[in-house]
Amino acid sequence: MIVASILMLAPFFLMLTTSLKSSAELKSIGFSVLPRETTISNYLVAMQRGNWVRYFYNSFVITTVTVLVSLVINSMAGYAFARLRFPGRQALFVSSLIGLMIPPQTTMIPVFIMLRHFPLAGGNDLLGSGGIGLINSYTGLMIPFIAGSFGVFLFRQYYLNFPHSLDDAAEIDGVGKLRCFLWIYVPLSKPAFATLGALKATQTWNEYIWPLIMTTTSDMRTVQLALALFRDEHEIEWNYLMSATTIITIPLVVLFLFAQRFFVEGIVTTGIKG
Amino acid sequence: MRNIHPIAYVLILPFYMFLFFFILVPIGMNIFLSFTNYDLIQWDFVGWKNYRYLFQDSHFHISLRNTSLYAFFTVGFSMVLGLGAALLLKGNPPGIKIYRISFYIPYIASMVAVSMIWLWIYDPMDGIANKILNLFGIPSKQWLYDSQYALSCIIVMSVWKVLGYNMIVFLTGLQAIPPYLYEAATIDGANSIQKFLKITLPMLQPITFFLFVTGVINSFKVFEQVAILTAGGPSNATTTVVHQIYNRAFNEFAMGYAAAMSIALLLVIAFITLFNYRYGNQGADLEIG
Repeated sequence: MIVASILMLAPFFLMLTTSLKSSAELKSIGFSVLPRETTISNYLVAMQRGNWVRYFYNSFVITTVTVLVSLVINSMAGYAFARLRFPGRQALFVSSLIGLMIPPQTTMIPVFIMLRHFPLAGGNDLLGSGGIGLINSYTGLMIPFIAGSFGVFLFRQYYLNFPHSLDDAAEIDGVGKLRCFLWIYVPLSKPAFATLGALKATQTWNEYIWPLIMTTTSDMRTVQLALALFRDEHEIEWNYLMSATTIITIPLVVLFLFAQRFFVEGIVTTGIKG
Repeated sequence: MRNIHPIAYVLILPFYMFLFFFILVPIGMNIFLSFTNYDLIQWDFVGWKNYRYLFQDSHFHISLRNTSLYAFFTVGFSMVLGLGAALLLKGNPPGIKIYRISFYIPYIASMVAVSMIWLWIYDPMDGIANKILNLFGIPSKQWLYDSQYALSCIIVMSVWKVLGYNMIVFLTGLQAIPPYLYEAATIDGANSIQKFLKITLPMLQPITFFLFVTGVINSFKVFEQVAILTAGGPSNATTTVVHQIYNRAFNEFAMGYAAAMSIALLLVIAFITLFNYRYGNQGADLEIG
């Protein structure tokens, strides 16, 4: 098991050591695992190639807003599906199932066209033509990640396990359904929020294909897209490329180490209950 | 108690708007587009032409073949190795936390970042893969630039990346097997191989089936590693279905044709999903997690 673990981590180890080697060492003949002389100047050079502060800001904004909006709308809908009675509940819920099965890759073309022709955005007129719509906008980059049914299923499943006596007690006290959700269900479902949050954050931070399609200016690049283009736009110098790779990987790995339980919960939930 | 709660509609509305406009409507639009020759500027109905072309398009055929090979080997290896790792971790050996983290990190890291690392490993000039071969006196290989090895290289990397996911799901499954089954078997004199074949594997069957189906579905979406490691090359040796969709739609602007390919992909995935619902129900009553 120790050998397996080392093998699993070896590529990351290689990434780190390469990012600390000087250009001269990489060009010289011979190879050593550890850098002969450690230099962190690679990181500074890599970060100066392109506006990395801006890319990090973009990724950070997109991830944060996506996570927050997803948490709010999915918990609300999950509660309604789990605990409220209303005509059409079954039909609405079953049609949400489609959202679980449809891989975003199969709808990226129509979504792209729709966002490009979004009325009154990016220079478009009321009919959605004339401009670039939501291309190169944060909204356009976030929408596909906010859409999706997984979060609703997660919250619904979670709330279905709550005892009905909670609702009965609230009703006796004259608490309405909305306040019952906000005051009783939300405070009791922190783990569900953390799980979906971890999952959405990973997904959004790591996304590549959607920013690739939806952005044309370097100002709107996310870190993943910037890393991919970093390789295309410069002659490959492995120490700089590995520095950039390290930097965009660190935020998520740190988040993961702190909130491991919720990431694992998310993995297992997508696995078993999804 | 039989009263209805109109507030429910308000609570569901935001979620449903996103679902409706950005998932349900696009599916309909995709079907519509697949019968046109839309190129972002103008469009005409072309009937079944796009679908007919799918049968002649050799790039699409290669991409189907590559995607199937990728799915078969990635899912197969990552499941066998994932089960192996889960079995080793089942008894909570000391250091299990570190082991688990080492398996998760590749799964958590982004495909772009991970692809960059493996690009370096596979570098024909200075990459570590060739350095290791040279140690054993084997001459360097061109790896991603050699159509004989390129797809295998991508598969090896992908197995490494998704292994941790398979491991953790198997591990959850293993921990849910009631210990008394093993105790009873021990009393009956079963050896560990018999226990594995007669208890562990049958009890894991729903999870195995589930991992297989989701693994295949995910494999059919493979794009990022291909785009970064090889861009589909050399000479289309590693192009995949989603890579073809992306190329046709966003490099050649053949939106109509790419939409037809998306529908084909959607049908394949829908078929696998329905297969899962039809035959996967043995696992539905096994609530784990």
